[in-house]
Amino acid sequence: MKKRIIVSTVIVVFALLTIVSYFMFQWLNDNQDIEDVIKQEFRSLGQYVENVYAIEYPDDDRALIFYSWSHPDFSNFGVMELEKTWRGWQFVEAISNRMERKNAWLKGVYAEIGDHAILRGPTWANVDKIEIITDDGREYIPDIGKSEWHMWYLILEDEPFEEATFILYDSDGEVLWEEVLQFDLNLLE
Amino acid sequence: MNLSLKYKVLMIFMLLVFIGVFLYYYGAKVRQEEADAEALRDYSYIVREYALDAVYKSKENPVEVELYPSAYTEAILERWKAISDRYPEFEYPEAAIEEGDWFKVNRVIKDAEMLKDTVDKMYEDATVEFEGLKGSFTTLLDYIFYQKYEPSNIEDILIDLGFESPREEE
Repeated sequence: MKKRIIVSTVIVVFALLTIVSYFMFQWLNDNQDIEDVIKQEFRSLGQYVENVYAIEYPDDDRALIFYSWSHPDFSNFGVMELEKTWRGWQFVEAISNRMERKNAWLKGVYAEIGDHAILRGPTWANVDKIEIITDDGREYIPDIGKSEWHMWYLILEDEPFEEATFILYDSDGEVLWEEVLQFDLNLLE
Repeated sequence: MNLSLKYKVLMIFMLLVFIGVFLYYYGAKVRQEEADAEALRDYSYIVREYALDAVYKSKENPVEVELYPSAYTEAILERWKAISDRYPEFEYPEAAIEEGDWFKVNRVIKDAEMLKDTVDKMYEDATVEFEGLKGSFTTLLDYIFYQKYEPSNIEDILIDLGFESPREEE
C-alpha cells in the first residue's frame, strides 16, 4: 500500500512538473523579443555593426528582417528570414548583397529567400515615396525603411520582372528622379 | 531499502557511464559550435573585403555559405590584375578566382613581401617627383580593395604608371 502511494505521488509530481514546464516554455516562447533574437543572429553570422531597416511578417510564423552591415559604410544589404518554431524564432536563411550608393539615386537587386521573392536596395534620405511601373503595366509602391541609410523593399506576391521604371518622389509629391532598373533574376543561383 | 553491494556498484557504474557520455557529447557540441562561429566570422570577413554577394543557407553543422562576385568585386579584381600584368611577380590567382575559392585568393594577396617588393618597384619605375614617405605593403591593399591612396603620393605614381586616369582639372 505504502509503495503504491509513493509510486502514485511520483507520477503525479512528474506529470505536474511536465505540464508546468510546458506552459512556462510556451509563455517564454510567446514573449520572446524578436529584436534580441535578431541581434543574436547577427552576432552568430559575424555581421557586426548592423542597421535594421524593417521587420516584416509575411506569415504568422515567418519574419523577414531588412538590414545593412559592415563598418564603415554599411554597403552590404541583407535580408534574413526567421521562422517561429516550438523552440522560438529560428534562423532559416540570409542573403547579403553589396550595393554601394555613391552618386546613384537608388540601387536594387532581386533575391529569393524561402518562398519569397524580394526586391530591395538603398536610396537617399530625401526620397519619400517610390513608384515602380513594369513594362506590362503593373504598379507597385515599395516600403522605405529608415536607419543609417534608407532602404526600399518590395515583397513580390506575383511574377518577378526583369526591368521596371522607378519614379522617386519627395515629401511634397514632386518627382525627384526617374530611372529604369534591371534585375538579374538568376543573380544568386 | 536494502540494496546488495553488487547492485550499488552497478548503479554507480551506470551513472558514471551516463555522465561520461553526456560530457563527451556536450564537449563535442561546444567544439562544433566554436568551429562554426569561426567559419562564419571568416565568411563575414571575406564577404566584406571582396564585396561579395552571399547566401547563408545554414549557419551550423555544417556551415553552408554560397559566395558570388558582385560588380564591386570585379572592380577590385581589375585593379589587382592590372598591377599583376605589369609586375608578374605580383601574383594574380586566376584559377582560384574562377573556382570561387575566395579564401585561397585571399591567402595569395596577404604575402607582405610580394606587396612590399611591388610597391617599391612602382616608386622606382615612376617618372614623377613625389613628396613624403614611400608607401608600405598596406599601400597596395588599400588601393586594390578600397581605391584609397595612402600615402597620398601613391595616386600620382598610379596615374604616372597608367593604372589610374589623370585627375580632371577643376
